[in-house]
Amino acid sequence: MPSHPPDHRGKRQRAAGRLCHPPPRRRVSNPASPYIVFENVEVRYSPLVRGLCGATLRIERGEFVFFVGRTGAGKSTLLKLLTREAAPTSGKVTLAGIDLGRLREREIPALRRQMGIIPQDFALLPRKRVWENVAYAMRAVGATRKEVRRRVPAILEQVNIGHRADAFPHQLSGGEQQRVAIARALINDPPLLLADEPTGNLDPEHSLEIMQILARLNERGTTVLVASHDVLTVAKVNRRIVTVEGGQVTSDSKSEAPARV
Amino acid sequence: MFDRLEFLFGEATMALRRNVLMALAAITTVAVSLFLIGGLGYVYFRIDEYARTLPGKQEMRVFLRSGAPYAQITETAKQIRAMPGVASAVWMPKEKVWEKERLQHPDLTEGIENPYPDAFKVTLSDLSSAGKVAGAIRAMPAVEPAGGVVYLEKELEFIDQAMRVVRWLGSVFGSLLFVTGGVLIYNAIRLTILSRRVEVRIMQLVGATRLTIRAPFVIEGIVQGALGGALAALMVLASHQVFARFIESLKADVTSPPFPLGLALAGLSLAGATYGLLCSVVAVRSPMRLQ
Repeated sequence: MPSHPPDHRGKRQRAAGRLCHPPPRRRVSNPASPYIVFENVEVRYSPLVRGLCGATLRIERGEFVFFVGRTGAGKSTLLKLLTREAAPTSGKVTLAGIDLGRLREREIPALRRQMGIIPQDFALLPRKRVWENVAYAMRAVGATRKEVRRRVPAILEQVNIGHRADAFPHQLSGGEQQRVAIARALINDPPLLLADEPTGNLDPEHSLEIMQILARLNERGTTVLVASHDVLTVAKVNRRIVTVEGGQVTSDSKSEAPARV
Repeated sequence: MFDRLEFLFGEATMALRRNVLMALAAITTVAVSLFLIGGLGYVYFRIDEYARTLPGKQEMRVFLRSGAPYAQITETAKQIRAMPGVASAVWMPKEKVWEKERLQHPDLTEGIENPYPDAFKVTLSDLSSAGKVAGAIRAMPAVEPAGGVVYLEKELEFIDQAMRVVRWLGSVFGSLLFVTGGVLIYNAIRLTILSRRVEVRIMQLVGATRLTIRAPFVIEGIVQGALGGALAALMVLASHQVFARFIESLKADVTSPPFPLGLALAGLSLAGATYGLLCSVVAVRSPMRLQ
C-alpha cells in the first residue's frame, strides 16, 4: 500500500487539520482496521424512498474503488454518507474509526476538510479564472493570500491544468473543467478523494484522462472512491469495482464473489 | 486575522453588489421605519420640551370668589394639588399681587383700589389633562364661576393634538414599516444566498466553517441596517429643520436648539445595524443547513 505524501500544508491548515480530529473518547482509529466501513447501512430519504437498504462494505487506506450501478442504485448515497450529506437511518458508517452517523452538524466542516469532493457538475464559479476558483476555495478554508500564491500553481500542475490558469471556465473543455474541480478538491491535501460521476458529462477520451489523473493521485497514497455508471471507462482503469443495485452491494471485484448483505 | 476579515468583507461586498435593488429597498424601508419611530419620537420630545419652556403655556390662573374664607382657600389648594396632571398650585394673595403691580407700575395704579381677587397659579405636569383639570377646578365652590379659570386653552389643545398625532404616526406606521423593513432585509439576504448558491456549495464542499459561510450574509444585513439608520438620521435632521422653522414662525423670540446629528447618526445606525443583524441571522439559519 502506498504511503501518505509529505504534508505540504501551511501551519494554519495543519493546525486546522489537528482540530478536525474528534475528541479522544471517540477516536478508535487503528491502522490495522479498515479505513472505511459501511456496516449494514440503511438510508431512507422518506418513508417511500430508500437510498440504501443494508449495504455492507470495507475499504482499506490507499484503495481505488469504483461504485457502479444504475441511476438510483445507491452509489451516490454511499459517497453522501461519507461527506455527511446523508446520515444512516440504521447501521453504521465509520471513517478512520470515526462513527459518521454520530457526528454533530458543527463537526461536518472539519470532516470535509479531511476529504476532497468532486461533484458531477464541476461547480465552478463562472466569473472567476481557473486559479481564482482554486484560490477562492482555499481562502474559504482559511488560507492566507501568501499560502494561496504559493500553493495554487502546484495544485494546478498536479492535474495538468497549470497552462490554463488564467482562463475562465467557459473557455475550458469539459475535461479541463473537471480537472479544475479535482484541483479544488486537492486544496486540503486530502487522504480521501470522493468523485460522484466525474465523467458523467465527458466524452470517452476526456473520461479516461480524468480517470488517469485520479489513478495518479491514488498512486501517491490518496484513497479514491468514484461513483460511476460509465462501465467502459471503469473497465479500462482496472481497479476494485463494487456493484450497487437496489440499495445493496451485490458484487465486489475484490472478493470475487457477491457481497454478503 | 486581517486576511480572514478581508475575505469575509470581500464576500459581503460581493453579496451586496449582487442584489443592489433589493438591498436599496431594504435600506430605504429600514430608514423610513427608523425615521418614523426614532425621528417622530425625537419630534415628540421636542414639542413637549417646547411646551414646557414657553412661559405660561403650561400654567393656568384660578381666581377665587371675593371673600372666600381662608379654610376654604386652603381646602381648594389641597384638592388642586392632589389632581392628576397638576405639578404645583401656588396661592397668590391679592394684596401681594397688587403690591407687586404698584411697584412695577406706580403711575397706573395710583388712586385705584385693588381690583385683583385672590388666585392660584397652577402649573401642569401633563398637557393632555389641562381640560379635565380646568373643568374640575371650575366646579369648586371657592372658585369664581365666570372666568374663574384662565389658561391658554387653544394653544394647549393644539400642542396636545400635535403630540397625539406624532405618537400615533410613530407607533403605528413606524411599527408596520419596521416589520416590513425586517422582512425586506430577510428577503434580500435569502435572494443573495440563492444567487450565491454555487459559492455556498463550494465552501461547504471544501469544509469551510459555518461562520465563514454565514458571516458575509450577516455582514450584509448589518450594513443594510446601518445604512438605513444613517439615512433615517438625515431624514430626522431634515424634519427637525422644518419643525424648527415652523416653531420660529409661530413665535419670533424662540430659537430651537441645534440638532444632535452625531448622536442621531450613531444611535440610529446602531439601532439599524442591530436590527439588520437579527434579520440576517434569521435569514441564514434555514437555507444554510449543510446539505
